[in-house]
Amino acid sequence: MTVQKDPEGTEKKILLQFADFNQRKILEIGCGDGRLTWKYAKTAERVLGIDLDAPALQIASIETPTDLRPKVNFIRSDSIKLPLRSNFFDTALLAWSL
Amino acid sequence: MVHALSEIHRVLRPGGSLIDLRPVDDRWSIEVNSKGGIQQTGRMIDYPKGLEDDEASERAMSQAEVNGWFKREEMASFPLYYSWDTPKEMEDYITEEWENENALEESTKTLTRSTWASAGADARPRVRLTMSIARWNKI
Repeated sequence: MTVQKDPEGTEKKILLQFADFNQRKILEIGCGDGRLTWKYAKTAERVLGIDLDAPALQIASIETPTDLRPKVNFIRSDSIKLPLRSNFFDTALLAWSL
Repeated sequence: MVHALSEIHRVLRPGGSLIDLRPVDDRWSIEVNSKGGIQQTGRMIDYPKGLEDDEASERAMSQAEVNGWFKREEMASFPLYYSWDTPKEMEDYITEEWENENALEESTKTLTRSTWASAGADARPRVRLTMSIARWNKI
């Protein structure tokens, strides 16, 4: 079963219009397998993706492009108690997760 | 949800942004797309759970605004397509992935199959999701 999600690339286009990721520290909540992460991470300073879905996070880690590995990380965490310091991220992205 | 928004507020720097991107149920259009054009074959059935989830998300963001955590700066909606090679693949995907939130009527399945079969080799069935995106500023 092969589904093509957003073959026209509308989501990426709109997302980049709505948020400036350039040299920003990004927290992505509900990152899953990184499908959305790869659409903006290239210009970000740092990206942390969180999700509760361990198998999806494993896919995200494996499929992280080599050039993004130094600045993109994924952790398993619940968004109601983030193991992160205060006042750190420039942008939080709720990715299909609210 | 409100607890999560409280945590997001905490980890964002002052003036930081929250982007809320998500699909919104509104009886998404079922279509067959080919070089010959786009033919609508029906609409998705929205189950109460999906609609309740959407309402809960809206309530949580409203509460975050009332609490003085975020102020909405901009919002928009846009279409996003899910596309398959065959109607059978589309039906299986909807049954497996969206079983508690959306479904197809039998009449829509039948019309999609017949429209796809007569639309040419490049025809693909698709669902037109409605997406919502909003940018909120941390206060």
